Amino acid sequence: MTLYLLRRLGAVAAILLVICAVTFVIFYVVPSDPAVQACGKTCTPERVAEVRAQMGLDRPVWEQFGAYVVGIFAGRTLAAGVECGFPCLGFSYQNSLPVWDLLIDRLGTSVSLAIGAAALWLVIGLSVGVISALRRGSALDRTLMVTTLTSASLPVYFVAMLLLLFAVRVTGLLPYPAYVELTEDPVAWASNLILPWVTLAALYAAMYARLSRAQMIETMAEPYIRTARAKGLHERTVVTKHGMRAAVTPIVTIFGMDLGGLLAGAMITETVFGLPGIGRLAYDGIVKADQPVILGTTLLAAFFIVLANLLVDLVYAVIDPRVRYS
Amino acid sequence: MSKRTSLLVAGLLLGVAACGGGGQAAEPKSGSDTPAKGGTLTILSNQDFSHLDPTRNWTMPQMDFGIRLLYRTLTTFKAEPGAKASEIVPDLATDLGTPTEGGKVWTFTLKDGVKYEDGTPVKAQDIKYNVERSFAPELPGGPNYAQLYLAGGEDYKGPLKGKHLDSIQTPDDKTIVFTLKRPVAEFSYTVTLPTFAPVPESKEAGAQYDNRPFSSGPYKIEIYDRGKEMVLVRNEHWDPATDTVRKAYPDRIVVKQGLRQTVIDDRLIDSRGEDSAAISYSDASAASLAKVLPKPEVKARLVSEISGCTDMLGFNTSKAPFDDPKMRQAVHFALDKQAMQTAGGGPGMTEIATSYLPPAMSGGQKQDVYQLPPNGDVEKAKALLGGKTLDVGLTISTGDKALGEAAQASLKRAGINLTLNPVDPSVFYDTIGDTAKTPDMFTYGWCPDYPSGATFLPLLFDGRTIVEKGNSGNVWQFKDDAVQKRIDEIQAMTDTAAAQQAWIDLDKQVMQLSPAVPFSWDRKPLLIGKDVTGAFGHPVWSGQLDFAVLGVTQK
Amino acid sequence: MTALAPPAAAPVAAAGRSPSRLVWERLRRDRAARFGLIVVALFVLIALSAPLLTKLNGWSPYDFDPTAIDKELAGVPKGALGGISAEHWLGVEPVSGRDIFSRIVYGARISLLISALATVVSVLLGTTFGLLAGYFGGWVDAAISRVMDLLMSFPSLIFMIALISVIPDGDRVTLLVCIMGGFGWPYIGRIVRGQAITVKHREYVEAARVGGAMGGGLLFREILPNITAPILVYATLSIPANIGTEAALSFLGVGVRPPTASWGQMIQESMLWYEVDPMYFIVPGLCLFLTVLAFTLLGDALRDAIDPKGARR
Repeated sequence: MTLYLLRRLGAVAAILLVICAVTFVIFYVVPSDPAVQACGKTCTPERVAEVRAQMGLDRPVWEQFGAYVVGIFAGRTLAAGVECGFPCLGFSYQNSLPVWDLLIDRLGTSVSLAIGAAALWLVIGLSVGVISALRRGSALDRTLMVTTLTSASLPVYFVAMLLLLFAVRVTGLLPYPAYVELTEDPVAWASNLILPWVTLAALYAAMYARLSRAQMIETMAEPYIRTARAKGLHERTVVTKHGMRAAVTPIVTIFGMDLGGLLAGAMITETVFGLPGIGRLAYDGIVKADQPVILGTTLLAAFFIVLANLLVDLVYAVIDPRVRYS
Repeated sequence: MSKRTSLLVAGLLLGVAACGGGGQAAEPKSGSDTPAKGGTLTILSNQDFSHLDPTRNWTMPQMDFGIRLLYRTLTTFKAEPGAKASEIVPDLATDLGTPTEGGKVWTFTLKDGVKYEDGTPVKAQDIKYNVERSFAPELPGGPNYAQLYLAGGEDYKGPLKGKHLDSIQTPDDKTIVFTLKRPVAEFSYTVTLPTFAPVPESKEAGAQYDNRPFSSGPYKIEIYDRGKEMVLVRNEHWDPATDTVRKAYPDRIVVKQGLRQTVIDDRLIDSRGEDSAAISYSDASAASLAKVLPKPEVKARLVSEISGCTDMLGFNTSKAPFDDPKMRQAVHFALDKQAMQTAGGGPGMTEIATSYLPPAMSGGQKQDVYQLPPNGDVEKAKALLGGKTLDVGLTISTGDKALGEAAQASLKRAGINLTLNPVDPSVFYDTIGDTAKTPDMFTYGWCPDYPSGATFLPLLFDGRTIVEKGNSGNVWQFKDDAVQKRIDEIQAMTDTAAAQQAWIDLDKQVMQLSPAVPFSWDRKPLLIGKDVTGAFGHPVWSGQLDFAVLGVTQK
Repeated sequence: MTALAPPAAAPVAAAGRSPSRLVWERLRRDRAARFGLIVVALFVLIALSAPLLTKLNGWSPYDFDPTAIDKELAGVPKGALGGISAEHWLGVEPVSGRDIFSRIVYGARISLLISALATVVSVLLGTTFGLLAGYFGGWVDAAISRVMDLLMSFPSLIFMIALISVIPDGDRVTLLVCIMGGFGWPYIGRIVRGQAITVKHREYVEAARVGGAMGGGLLFREILPNITAPILVYATLSIPANIGTEAALSFLGVGVRPPTASWGQMIQESMLWYEVDPMYFIVPGLCLFLTVLAFTLLGDALRDAIDPKGARR
């Protein structure tokens, strides 16, 4: 088990390194020159060259990459004599803040968004799925399935705009979304996040409902359920203890991946609602050709996804005794 | 129309355009007539400030923001709408400066009682230090006037490595003397730029200074969470008696950043709760104007001062097909400027441009060389093309898609087929400013400085100013000996009225050669909340609200 | 990786009828599948006959109609419901006055083309690499599996936007297809790999091998036909996902090059106007919704029909 874990962690590091390298190279060939941009409106070629040297962009790409990777673990001193401590992801070209600080600052928003939405969609998705499965073929099942199918087919921004229109513009029930820190004012935090939560949950709950329904139906047809029933167990015990436990296993995989992806930023939702999260940071970075920010957000996002994968596999062992680590 | 958020305002942003009869001076819009101290003003923005470090602050709205709220300069512009806005008054200095040696040496004396947010007095050395900072490659992006004008600036690399510039002398704490390379008559205007604000050496933080400029103005930064929020509170040490321009009515100013523009517009249209004391930092979107215009109550809260800029379709005149003036003229004739106007927000927001110089700079008269109908003259364009068709590329900034499509549809009528290349605003100016990569056609805008053709035509059409990379101004790479000769002649004129007329005539001359097609003179649409007082677009800052005199009604 | 074996496909053929015929009959009996099939067919037909349809209404998707919009009012369409009239069947776009019906039918072409081609690319890549990995095992499998892990760990949306911004002059349709296909194939690659491993050890494959069939031929002749079912299901379900991705990329400003119409781009534009001109927002939104819904229904039904064990009705 320990060996397995070590091997997996090694693979995680390797994947992150490769992602880092690929992103680095791609942005090295980007058509915009950060030095020209930083230099401003009327700038002589000599001054651009000075600025480039200042930003450390005059060195070969592999050297820059090496410095970057080493800097993550050991910190580094940038050309201007500015210290960049561990974990150094460089400084944003846009606002000269350490990328690490920016990521940490924005993470709160993305985590608030992801956790709230996930709680919502898990509860709704799974209950709808299980109820539908147990009442298979009934009018209730049909209604629920049509609803979830519709909800899953609507684009995220479509739902977001409709919610904004009705909850904010027309009825004035909710304030215009603007992120408030949880520690600052929990009520405002929640009321500002309701719409983004519902938007995301509408999409995911629908997918989870469909998935859990299918899983549940399959599981309930298994022989061991019949055995359990034959033993005279109470139907409730059969459903919760034997049925749901098995049905939920594959959902854990997907949930882990989805949550990992969301923690790394829900770009569209954050853009529509103007939430300052990781996705929005990444998008702004791309639009403004802010390479250190793009690299940082890409790495963080990849980290979450890879980590989620690892955790999912570990959790599997706990809930599914069939899995053994080789 | 994202281009107007930053780099469009290219060039020497020093003076003003709206002067003479052409500019429609807007009355300050306000809910109440007597401004009162107190309250919180909220500024809603779709973006972060790019640079608030006075050395690096050279793009439009944040120059206004920095100068009016956070730091003072030697001289500054009056906080009044219309023609008066272009007049300058002493700010940190006691007067507009004393030129000697025929305008080569300028001396300024500081007022008594001007202080920083910690109560320490502003010293002449601090202004010298900040001007020196503008030479530092570590702090790029700001106005380059000091580098252009100051003697001995060629090899100077800024004060961060401990070296100082001898052409700025501070004989005592109150006096600063600039020695220039050549006489500069309008140096009093030059020192309105944030380069000439004070930064004490003890507060130096390199690139990080951007995140917390040390205030000499009426407000200081309490919180600055970049991209999210900024909170300004009063600088208790700022003495209104020393400041004739800034009124500093609100107690607090909160800037909310990173909002969607449509959300900002909706909030201000509704003007509910604290949004009634809010203003927009960024332009209202075209779709929002459709919501605003039919409602008189809301329309009254739309400030739309002329920006003083001319928007143009530029050509790469260095290569085929647009090295041929006839091909350029063909585009000129074929373009449907009315469609461009609609794409730019309609007649309420833009005026059809018929020359490079905006009306304010051509004696209030629109001059029209070609006398074309607003939809263009397709037949003439076809005649100029001589039966040919053209296949060319038009590079636009992603926010200008509607403009690009309007140009595309209208030129197609004459057999000129455009391929649109929308590029990120971040890449846009790099692309057209790189002479090796300049596209066939592109959009470009220019805003004048003080009301003189001297800040417009020589910068745009003098072939000797072209540089290979980071080219700006003459992005069309236009070289014409007659035009260059004429520019030199006009610049040597001493009679300003004659020079003004000569610039107007030169405008016509260049229009005939058509290195660019001017298509619109636009306004800056900004919404304000119900309880905001003293709001007007300041023509110097391309129509942005003047933050010096904004207030909030007290209830 | 865990030792959990991928679920085996169970292509059960009833005696006397070929499996494909059986699937078809099941599909025909399924109401949802019928609905999905009809809607998909309808939109494909619309896309194919776009030039004909625009000839009928007389508006090219690129023609401006300044008479249909109110220039004084920031370019809002004249008339009710976004300017719906005998002239413009589904109204016009604000500002430009372009005909929405014409743009929708041409947009169907682009949206369906991109998503179908991206699916084809990911199916081709996924099948090829999945088969190779599953059949050969060893280092081939290890290498391909690592590449798949890597691609699946990429924050693909960030990366797609970045990549498209890096190549501003490229042909956007090709680029979108390559990028979406390039990031999509590992998902199908994994399924195919798992299937290939299972099928490899079946008797008929062993028999073929003993009979002298060579590697490549065996792969495609014997193994591939036995795993077409899951591939087909996956492909059907990935088309709506790709339609969504194209729309999302357009929404984030990196879609097809203007003035080309795509549904995603139309929705992105219309969102600014959703309050002033709701029809502009509703028409492309509804088309997108219907298409995604139809493909999803079809994919679901196909899966049930092929593998009736799953969600038997």
